[in-house]
Amino acid sequence: MIIKNSLGVVALVGLLSATNVNAQIKGLLHVSAVKGDSQSSWQEGGVGLYRYDSENDGVLLSQGLIDFRADLSTDWSAHGVINAYQDPEPTLGFSQAYLQYKPLTKSKYKWHVRVGGFYPLLSLENPDMGWISPYNYTNSAINSWIGEEVRTVGVEATIKRPGRSFNSAHSFAFVGATFKGNDPAGTLLAWRGFAMHDRQTTFNEGVAFAPVASLNTPQLQHQANQVLPFEEVDGRYGYYTGIHWDYLKKSQFRFYYYDNNGDPAAINYSTGQYAWDTRFSSAAWLYKFTAKTRLITQAMSGSTAMGKNRGVDNRFYSHFFLLSHKIAEHRLSIRYDYFKVTDKDDWAFDPNASHGEGITATWRYQLTPQWQLGIEGSALRSQADNRQAIGIASRISQQQVLLNAQWRF
Amino acid sequence: MKLVLVIALIFMVFKSHAATITIYDQNQQPLPNAVVWLTSSVTMLDNELPNAPFMMKQQERQFTPHVLVVPKNAQVEFPNADSIMHHVYSFSKSKSFELKLYREQPQAPITFEQTGVVELGCNIHDWMLGYIVVVDSPFYAITDEQGRLSLNIPQGEYTLNVWHEGFSDISSTESQAVNVSNKNLRYQLKQKVIPRVAIGVDEFDDY
Repeated sequence: MIIKNSLGVVALVGLLSATNVNAQIKGLLHVSAVKGDSQSSWQEGGVGLYRYDSENDGVLLSQGLIDFRADLSTDWSAHGVINAYQDPEPTLGFSQAYLQYKPLTKSKYKWHVRVGGFYPLLSLENPDMGWISPYNYTNSAINSWIGEEVRTVGVEATIKRPGRSFNSAHSFAFVGATFKGNDPAGTLLAWRGFAMHDRQTTFNEGVAFAPVASLNTPQLQHQANQVLPFEEVDGRYGYYTGIHWDYLKKSQFRFYYYDNNGDPAAINYSTGQYAWDTRFSSAAWLYKFTAKTRLITQAMSGSTAMGKNRGVDNRFYSHFFLLSHKIAEHRLSIRYDYFKVTDKDDWAFDPNASHGEGITATWRYQLTPQWQLGIEGSALRSQADNRQAIGIASRISQQQVLLNAQWRF
Repeated sequence: MKLVLVIALIFMVFKSHAATITIYDQNQQPLPNAVVWLTSSVTMLDNELPNAPFMMKQQERQFTPHVLVVPKNAQVEFPNADSIMHHVYSFSKSKSFELKLYREQPQAPITFEQTGVVELGCNIHDWMLGYIVVVDSPFYAITDEQGRLSLNIPQGEYTLNVWHEGFSDISSTESQAVNVSNKNLRYQLKQKVIPRVAIGVDEFDDY
């Protein structure tokens, strides 16, 4: 698989240079020295909510990415992000791949369309290349989940009312999208709960979780022990809609409503994936107290259900507060996360309730424009009702320390 | 002796004079960032272009300078000092163009053959706004924070032209006949200057 993907990437880069398409290619390598928690990570079939555990102690490649834009004509451009990871096993794949149509228009209103696979731009935590965060290395619970289970393959249209064209301090953007795929989104929230990490799922990947006891019952026997989050199961179209409201660039607010319109009765027996009826609202706000100090906060509330009679039916909620301060080449960021999944169904054999909170503090030092060093400490405590059945305490506390070096071009 | 006096007199008449001009708004406040140029119907103005190229840079996701004044037929370079690409465009009557500017891939300069106000935008960063004012005179400048500028110009009769981005019709200018002598000139605008919104951005505001 990895060889096939590598060949694909080489072919693509070759094609871009051979056809002499005007392109902007950026990339990043991020190496971490990890001091992980003894609680095994969900990536290894454990219930730990961090990306790493003590098995990972040592040095590893935590991000390898290429973020490119190729201009096909004045109005059309191709965009993609290729990610390389070595955990849980070496992989290479696309996390975003789309075409953008952005016509030059005389109108004061601007518009563009994206077609392909991409993130809904509902968060303000991940503006760096390849949807990574310039603040903490470990993403918030909300954006950890977006990065692993939310991606749309479809069409998105945006109309912008740039403040400057109207001599107004207020700018607005209105976003609407319809998409296929993303039917299993919500699976991880039910059987693992929220987690805190920066491991984005590429289009060809699945995400494993612990061998939850209830998956051995007749009712859930068809569910695989992993989620293929971007799969199309029910043949229906989902949608999302959003609004961005900026005051200058000092205050930036985004509200999105997402509904994958999943048919909970639909299942793909061969891959063990259900369509989940998953919908949520997300509100994100960034406020710059000064050019150096900013607050980023986001809250998300939603529901997810699967099965003909909605046998698994959960509500979920999370929020975070992130304060970041830049002093010369140093950036300090501290974040508090709260997350919760509530079990609304009457399947007592499949408890899905979980909750937790975490605190993450990060210091980054920009050595040169190419090199950045940083250290992060994070602690979280969590509770999940389904842990006891597999012989693990329902409440756990975890810590993770990362020493990081990033190189970008 | 008489001859010397005559020569001295001729020099005094034709010598260039550093004229100081101050522009005021309607509230008698000095107006910074006003573009001023002097034209003459009598004197043949030497419209030779300066040697140094004109530059409209893109730096930290803004046009720098925000306002550039150039003589007709000037060539302007658009260097991109940012690590990301820009897509500069203008739909203005006097010059309509577009330029995709990649990091470290300079484009050929653009020649501005027609006088007028060229409004610049970026199709990627919609807060970016800049102006190039193309004038038919070698005597031009932009007022400083004190609303002042000085021009090296022969004494005589001229038309003083003023433009400011706060004009409600940004393609319009104000003009008045002036006599450039030893006296400092002042000009008060006839119209209201609308304050323009400026949006400060940082490296993470693209998203």
